Amino acid sequence: MFKNYIKTAFRSLLKNKGFTAINILGLALGLCACLLIVFYVVDELSYDRYNTKHDRIFRVNSDLKLGENRKDYAVIMPPLAKTLIAEFPYVEDAVRVKNAYTIHVKKGDVNMVESKAAFADPSLFHVFTLPMLTGDAKTALAEPNSLVLTESTAVRYFGKTDVVGTTMTLNENQNFKVTGVIKDLPKTSHFNFDFFLSMATWEDSRSNAWLRNDYTTYVLLKDKADAKKLSASLNPFLYKVSGDQMKKEIGMSYNDFEKSGSYFRMDLIPLTDIHLKSNRIGELGANSTIQYVYIFSAIAIFILLIACVNFMNLSTARSANRAREVGVRKVLGSSRSFLVAQFLSESIMVTFFATIIALVFAVGLLPQFNQLAGKEMAVTSSTLIWLIPAAVFTVLFVGALAGSYPAFFLSAFQPIEVLKGKLSAGFKGGGLRSFLVVFQFGISVFLIMGTLVIKNQLNFIQTTNLGFNRDQVLVIQNAYELNKETKTFKNELTQLPGVTSATMTDFLPVSVNRRSTSIFFKDATLDQKNSIFPQSWEVDTEWIPTLDIKMAAGRNFAADRVSDSSAIIINEAAAKFLGYKNALGQTLYKSNGGKTELSNTVKYEVIGVMKDFHYSSMHEKIEPLIIRLAENNGSISLRVNASNLPALMSQIKTKWAGFSPVQMNYSFMDQDFDASYRSEQRVGTIFIIFTTLAIIIACLGLFGLAAYAAEQRTKEIGIRKVLGASVSAIVGMLSKDFVKLVVISIVFAVPLAWYCMTLWLQDFAYRVNIQWWVVAVAGLAAIAIAVITVSFQSVKAALANPVKSLKNE
Amino acid sequence: MIKITNLEKFYRTEEVETIALNKLSMEVNTGEFVAIMGPSGCGKSTLLNILGMLDDPDAGSYVFNGTEIAHFNERKRADLRKHNIGFVFQSFNLIDELTVFENVELPLIYTGVSSADRVKRVEEVLDKMQIMHRRNHYPQQLSGGQQQRVAIARAVVNKPKLILADEPTGNLDSSNGNEVMELLTDLNEQGTTIIMVTHSEHDARYSHRIIRLLDGQTVMENIMV
Repeated sequence: MFKNYIKTAFRSLLKNKGFTAINILGLALGLCACLLIVFYVVDELSYDRYNTKHDRIFRVNSDLKLGENRKDYAVIMPPLAKTLIAEFPYVEDAVRVKNAYTIHVKKGDVNMVESKAAFADPSLFHVFTLPMLTGDAKTALAEPNSLVLTESTAVRYFGKTDVVGTTMTLNENQNFKVTGVIKDLPKTSHFNFDFFLSMATWEDSRSNAWLRNDYTTYVLLKDKADAKKLSASLNPFLYKVSGDQMKKEIGMSYNDFEKSGSYFRMDLIPLTDIHLKSNRIGELGANSTIQYVYIFSAIAIFILLIACVNFMNLSTARSANRAREVGVRKVLGSSRSFLVAQFLSESIMVTFFATIIALVFAVGLLPQFNQLAGKEMAVTSSTLIWLIPAAVFTVLFVGALAGSYPAFFLSAFQPIEVLKGKLSAGFKGGGLRSFLVVFQFGISVFLIMGTLVIKNQLNFIQTTNLGFNRDQVLVIQNAYELNKETKTFKNELTQLPGVTSATMTDFLPVSVNRRSTSIFFKDATLDQKNSIFPQSWEVDTEWIPTLDIKMAAGRNFAADRVSDSSAIIINEAAAKFLGYKNALGQTLYKSNGGKTELSNTVKYEVIGVMKDFHYSSMHEKIEPLIIRLAENNGSISLRVNASNLPALMSQIKTKWAGFSPVQMNYSFMDQDFDASYRSEQRVGTIFIIFTTLAIIIACLGLFGLAAYAAEQRTKEIGIRKVLGASVSAIVGMLSKDFVKLVVISIVFAVPLAWYCMTLWLQDFAYRVNIQWWVVAVAGLAAIAIAVITVSFQSVKAALANPVKSLKNE
Repeated sequence: MIKITNLEKFYRTEEVETIALNKLSMEVNTGEFVAIMGPSGCGKSTLLNILGMLDDPDAGSYVFNGTEIAHFNERKRADLRKHNIGFVFQSFNLIDELTVFENVELPLIYTGVSSADRVKRVEEVLDKMQIMHRRNHYPQQLSGGQQQRVAIARAVVNKPKLILADEPTGNLDSSNGNEVMELLTDLNEQGTTIIMVTHSEHDARYSHRIIRLLDGQTVMENIMV
């Protein structure tokens, strides 16, 4: 019996090669796209799960509210880790990690710039699963001036991994002993470092200060310990251990602090939530967002649904051709369940072939997809553990789902009706089929609109006037190398023809650069209610002209005015926050940190107001910013105006070489800016690709359906032609039905897409509005796609010789 | 073998009710060869469908081999049908995707005959119909006469007591038609009851008895000598 199912199924598929190709191809395309997205989503969800203890690891976060200012931190005070271990028996261990940002590592005679370095406590290897290839994990980071390398870094420096005991020279004169080599961190780690330096090296790590946040701290709980319990105990504990310090330095108790409307709260975030759900100050790396996981999962489901719908539609449409077979089988004694089983095995077989093709393509396309998505996904044995069962499940489930409607529809034919040829009437109604077409095109319209809105928003981000000019700005990232000579170097650069102006500071309005905040008070009472907690940057007199920032009022710092050392310039957002109608001449008291008293502050006068400019992501509102004059030699930015940029670059490099043996690190500000939106760009591109795929699959289905509709009406078309209908009239007649369905789908999809995309845009503080033309384009595109697809078939049917079709009857 | 009494069948469309069978009564004995004739629309096909248990009557009684089956549900009818009745159609109704052998094998699969038995019985019947040499061909590779012989082979492979033939020669030329009629006569002589609907007086002459229908009623019965 089963053999008979397979045999009939196979031959029936072979006989209708075109139909089978469309069906298998459509489904394979859908499954392949779906699979790639599943890879992506699984990868996103798998962050930090490589840690065997991941369900017991938490990071301590903190939220600070000071007057009207709110800040969320991913970092916490230095002594917390060791105190937690001591005070809470169910805390098994804790580890602090502190970004070391850039270090210089001597390789031969050259100083290499390394940006992936961090200080870490020795417990790092107990809390996290970072397998050590050579060295002792227990003691590796115990001593000052010891460091642990990753495998590939060891190979990069020494050509081998067996390097424990070797000495490396960091930052010109610090000698570190290599005490261990670990495997490279998995790409699915929320932090990624090449060098771990022992925390004991970092003097500040022994600080007992409770009123700062600057150490990323992870706690490892004992088995079955309750994280909620620890979370709830954190604040009372903090008040206990740091109440005295608080009174001494800030001059008030935590109670009074809270009464004044401010607060400081600690909380735990599970390790595995960090990658998708955390975007705080002091993250060790750029995280992603759960939103993308949702969006992509939705697209995957959409694509799968479209592909299944295709399958159902084509199979039922084809039923007319198979009706006679069903009739004969029934007359010969086949029961309905036999027939259902027969058609189901047929559809499962198609799904099987499609799944195989999809798997082959998905695995083959993975490298390209990785490049697109910026990931390093690979099919490994751990992938196969879920992939194989998933593939089997897909074959059975999608096969059964897609085949169920045709199976029950076809098997329900009454044999005499069929054999009498009454079927076409029953076929034409196809209410469900119409519904499925509407559904399919609804999804397509939704996706087209989504794509347009995303494209618009990304375009908006890229072209909007940021309030400063990021073009033609060269940033020398490691100007601090030159120490006291940085300024001399800068001045020499200014002499070069082609350099319009130059500014020396680390603080730049591209979000990858340095940030710093300070507290300013509006008056001498130093009341927190009248405080502002803005970005507080150190710049020089050339900063505003070099970045081409516009002034709303007042003036820039002047080199020749001594009094400008106590002058500040604020942005419009700060002026608004402070409630100034006229900001010029107002005074602000900047706290030096520590105890709140007048002697611990510096008084500044506002001499100018800058127009607001975007210095962080478009996701966020422009926050208050205050700049003041100070020497900061972190980096140098040059506004260049060069017809011959390569020549200018080589001049600058030659000059640099006269100052330092270290390589000069530089970038262009517009590229840095683009880099900060790379994740949005990637998501946008992926979205567009999969949307296109979804539309192609929907078209394949419509193409097949139109073919059958035309075939079904062959006789009608023949009669109409004999009676004098023109080709265009017949094409119109055949296309009309489909266009009607597409129009209905537009009516349903547009409001839904509008709503969803508005939600997506909410996430951007600066965003485009959805414009009417987006709807028009999406709608017209859907209709055009449908008409073109259907026309292929309609024209063919309309051009056919009517004598042929009529003779057949 | 078959006794129908006051059989009625109506077809309703939205506005018109058509009487297909009007209190029709008739009897067919085991071993008989009966031809049913009449103009288009007289109810011949309806009668054949009811006799073949593909359709059920609206009123009246249908006794098959001593069992009243007018009230049987579809499953019971299908079960009785597959063991007792073979069908031969005007348009052959072979399944295009299956070979000659597989087409003939189909009824045996549905009645659960073992694979070895199936091969034996199919070969036997193909041999008898003289189309053994075509066993691995597909229907569209055969002539009309050959296709109808395959269809008859398929109808008799299960050794049914009754064969219902609906214009079996309607799509054939006269020599192929005669061949088919000879085959049916042979089967009848070996003991199979045959009821055949036909337009052809020539074909009807092969039967023992002709029942003539008009407007769903028997108008005349001719006994052939």
